[in-house]
Amino acid sequence: MNPSMSFYDLWPALGAGAVGAFVPAAKNWRLRAGLALAAALPVLLLLRGAGGTEPGAEWPSLLNALIFLPLAGALAILFLPRQSPRVLQGVTLGVLGVTFALSLLLLRVPMGRAWHFQYVREWIPSLGIRYHVAVDGISYWLVLLTTFTTPLAAYASFGSIKTRVKDLCFSYLLLQAAMIASFVALDLFLFYLSFELMLVPMYIMIGIWGGAEKIKASIKFFLYTMFGSVLMLGAMLYLVWTYARITGAPSFDLLALSRVVLPQKAQTLCFWAFALAFFIKVPMFPVHTWLPDAHVQAPTGGSVVLAAIMLKVGTYGYLRFAMGLFPWAANENCRNLAGVAVLGGIIYGALCAWKQDDVKRLVAYSSVAHMGYVMLGLFGGTPSGVSGALLQSLNHGVSTGALFLLVGVIYDRRHTRRIDEFGGLAKVMPAYATLWLIVTFASVGVPGTNGFVGEFMVIMGTYVSPRLGVFGGIDAVLAAFGVILGAVYMLSVTQKMFFGPLSNPRNRRLADLNAREAIALAPLVVLIFAIGFFPSTFLEPMNESVAAFTGRYLKGFNDGKDHGNAPASLAPAGDPAFFQGAPPLPGREPPPGGAPAPGGHAGHDHPEGGE
Amino acid sequence: MGVYFVLSPLLLLTLGGCLLMIAEAYMRFRAGDDAERSPSNELALPTAVCLFAGALLAFGVWLRGPESVPGFDAAAPYLYADRFTLFFTVVVCLGAALASLLAGGYLPEHNLDRGEFYPLIIFSTIGCVVLVAAGDLLSLFLGLETMSLGVYALTGFRRTSPRSTEAALKYFLLGSFAAALLLYGGALLYGVTGHTDLVGIGRALAAGERQAPTPLVLFAFALVLVGLAFKVSAVPFHQWAPDTYEGAPTPAMTFMAVAVKSAAFAMMLRVLVQGFGPTKLSSWSSGWPPVVATLALLTMTVANLIAGRQESVKRMLAYSSVAHAGYVLVGLVAVPRVGAEAQASVLFYLLTYTASTAGALGALVLMGHRGAEAVSYEDVAGIGRRHPGAALAMSFFLLSLAGIPPSAGFFAKLYIFRAAIGGSFYVLAIIGLLNSVLSAYYYLRVLVYMYMREPAPDAPVATPMRSGMVTAALLLSAVLVLLLGLVPGPGLGLALSAAAGG
Repeated sequence: MNPSMSFYDLWPALGAGAVGAFVPAAKNWRLRAGLALAAALPVLLLLRGAGGTEPGAEWPSLLNALIFLPLAGALAILFLPRQSPRVLQGVTLGVLGVTFALSLLLLRVPMGRAWHFQYVREWIPSLGIRYHVAVDGISYWLVLLTTFTTPLAAYASFGSIKTRVKDLCFSYLLLQAAMIASFVALDLFLFYLSFELMLVPMYIMIGIWGGAEKIKASIKFFLYTMFGSVLMLGAMLYLVWTYARITGAPSFDLLALSRVVLPQKAQTLCFWAFALAFFIKVPMFPVHTWLPDAHVQAPTGGSVVLAAIMLKVGTYGYLRFAMGLFPWAANENCRNLAGVAVLGGIIYGALCAWKQDDVKRLVAYSSVAHMGYVMLGLFGGTPSGVSGALLQSLNHGVSTGALFLLVGVIYDRRHTRRIDEFGGLAKVMPAYATLWLIVTFASVGVPGTNGFVGEFMVIMGTYVSPRLGVFGGIDAVLAAFGVILGAVYMLSVTQKMFFGPLSNPRNRRLADLNAREAIALAPLVVLIFAIGFFPSTFLEPMNESVAAFTGRYLKGFNDGKDHGNAPASLAPAGDPAFFQGAPPLPGREPPPGGAPAPGGHAGHDHPEGGE
Repeated sequence: MGVYFVLSPLLLLTLGGCLLMIAEAYMRFRAGDDAERSPSNELALPTAVCLFAGALLAFGVWLRGPESVPGFDAAAPYLYADRFTLFFTVVVCLGAALASLLAGGYLPEHNLDRGEFYPLIIFSTIGCVVLVAAGDLLSLFLGLETMSLGVYALTGFRRTSPRSTEAALKYFLLGSFAAALLLYGGALLYGVTGHTDLVGIGRALAAGERQAPTPLVLFAFALVLVGLAFKVSAVPFHQWAPDTYEGAPTPAMTFMAVAVKSAAFAMMLRVLVQGFGPTKLSSWSSGWPPVVATLALLTMTVANLIAGRQESVKRMLAYSSVAHAGYVLVGLVAVPRVGAEAQASVLFYLLTYTASTAGALGALVLMGHRGAEAVSYEDVAGIGRRHPGAALAMSFFLLSLAGIPPSAGFFAKLYIFRAAIGGSFYVLAIIGLLNSVLSAYYYLRVLVYMYMREPAPDAPVATPMRSGMVTAALLLSAVLVLLLGLVPGPGLGLALSAAAGG
């Protein structure tokens, strides 16, 4: 730890403190001081963690703690009395807070190309399923985003949801465990498990505390996602079976399966099964139609988690699994898919957002547009594009999360979200208007805010991408045009709601932000500027992992091209940093110290499975 | 003497059934007497204990290793006492025990408290056990009839209700029809081969297989297959199932959906794999797999589509039980190509299906009250508030039936579809997977009603039913579903060695 901290190191924390102290309309100075401290401390911790150059010792069970702590909390909630909501809320926030604090330990470890905090344990040996979790530069910020955003969402929603608090707390904690698990799982089975498990609490959230059409929206959400994921399960099983046929023993391990080179036809089909599951989750045009419904009906906290984190599972999954396992097929299709991302996501999403009269629906469609950038960066497949996509994932989580919180604020006061009900709000709610404007700028991508960096990197990466060829330029130009469209709809809604005459008499006496809302929003606003001014702090941990990934991607699709339609085979293991922790091949590479397996048919002699 | 040891579960059940019948006859209980001494209070627990003891004994024999007992095959080929039999004995006894525990809570609550229910369950279970052990068409038929006769009576147990009577009549007519088809097919097979034991039939057919199978063999085979499809209620031979299940008292439905169905699948496996396994009739090009694959496709899709349109939860569960038969058939199709692993997937599926279905129906029992079963979706509206325990149990078991991880139902489906993909039945696997999405729709609908709807304003406010025995059954099923879902390894191992030994 550095003994002296310069003013340069401290000023973001001071800035956060100032925002915490001055923005909310708190009554007394004691409360303001508390808020300032609450805003400044996490930022300080964040900086100290990121700034520390000496590698801290890795605690191998850290990821287990991040997964199982919320899970244990969820179980504990079941046994707490329903009648005492304050206890339930306290336990939930406590568990989420401790999870966040623990996740800060990640910051102390510099991410190279290798896996960190890896933990492997046999789970169901007869099927080759292991509990295998690890984090690298790609999943690093997503884990932190998850542990950071969920407590804020939970805290904000405790202000507006007063009924069935027990179910709400249970849902948040279960959701948190499933989301973290899905970002760190390196076993396809574990990933699928958390991917599915995530659906249930979100379904409960939308279905119980949602708006008028909640049941339709929740079932639509559930069935859409499950439709994609069962196809993915089918492809997974095919891949595992192929691996078992080649090596003699099945494995669900991502590292092991990434060596399988499938014949091109099978690879294309498997790629589409995986990709469809993730496209639905992201969501990408034309399977995005569940998203506006789900967002509009979901309660504020649910929307925040859905937008900020759950959509990222889709982009992350596409990057890690669809591109990682089927590089050839991903590359073959990337030009068309990039076109869909630009036209269907960025342009069409923006145009839809422009024409909405419900502000929450507008934000939902802006999500479609923003996720279009993320997917475009991934389709481009260049290091800067992928890094930009990951950063843009983070940005979207922060700024759209904040937008949903802001929409929730006005909805709690007026119980309507129709844009034409509002006008001139800046006069009655100045602090609210300020935050809205900041977040709007971030969402539009004004330089100095986080949105600018991510979009810029994605567009750059697309422009130079050799994968997209001549289309790269066209896609980049259209994506840049999408930025303008983003400004059009976000600024026009800002103008309609906040400026002009205060025409609607019901808006005359609206209260400005209260302390709870301000506390929930402040960290997000701080992060907007932190990423905007210091993007390299956020890009640096992911750089090497992204470079390694794009290298493997390039090699993978060359392998796939040479492979043609020959029967599936196993590529030699490359980068040892990547394959660290992969399961040993039965009969060929005996684990060090163990006796070599007899013959080449291990796994058939003893049918009884696990003990 | 070894044969008595390996058949001890069957003997124990027989003894227990006889004792219970005598005990029931000596009971004097009239309506209005002290409820403490009602037949259900006196008999339900002993029945369950007897059935659990049967399951435990079967497990004990398993641990001892039936193959190592001298003289274990003395009853073969009439009764095989291999691991396959023992596995299904455990499943069937477990299902029957859960059903009798449910009956202990259900019958007094619905004024059906007559003691015959319990001996009938045990005798039916004996039939099931004989059926799963049978390696000969004669003993097979014996087991089938013993099983069915008891179930006919159980179905019509609510004598005053026309629905129940209709259900029993329908089941009786179609059941005997199916049995007659099976018998006729068996007789023809005997005529062709001169054997009644399945192994002998298989050998004789395989030996005479120089040329294409004669029309007589094909005809006999078709009859047997249709009879089997009736028994496992595969579409289009399923029409009896929803009416029968809906009309029967819920514990009887549990028994039918769980124990009887498992036994029927055991019979199907034996006949198709042991009897026709060595012949060309089990190859994809000229045998039963494409037929069974078609049945599986139809069963899954049709049953799931119809289940989504039901207005009654009980009827929905009946159709879902038909749909699950479809998934099991997918595993069955893969057996000739994949072998023991596919067979194990079928066994494991039936085990998890037993626990989940018994649990879901148990939760449904808890939602009913005094003479009125919870039947329609409206009946369960808002039950998440009024009876949180039952609602939680219901959600848990329905999620398992829908195949949401980490429940046992998910693993069972995973294993089935893995076998199908291993046998390159990609279309079958994908349609099966998509069907599980379809099924999620109607399972979720129950959750929607339980948690997200308020009861209709004019609905009578019911005091939720409480019953220690039903709760015990639910807890047991929940533990099973959770264990098989989180640590499926041992269960899969058992199923694999049962399949390899059978």
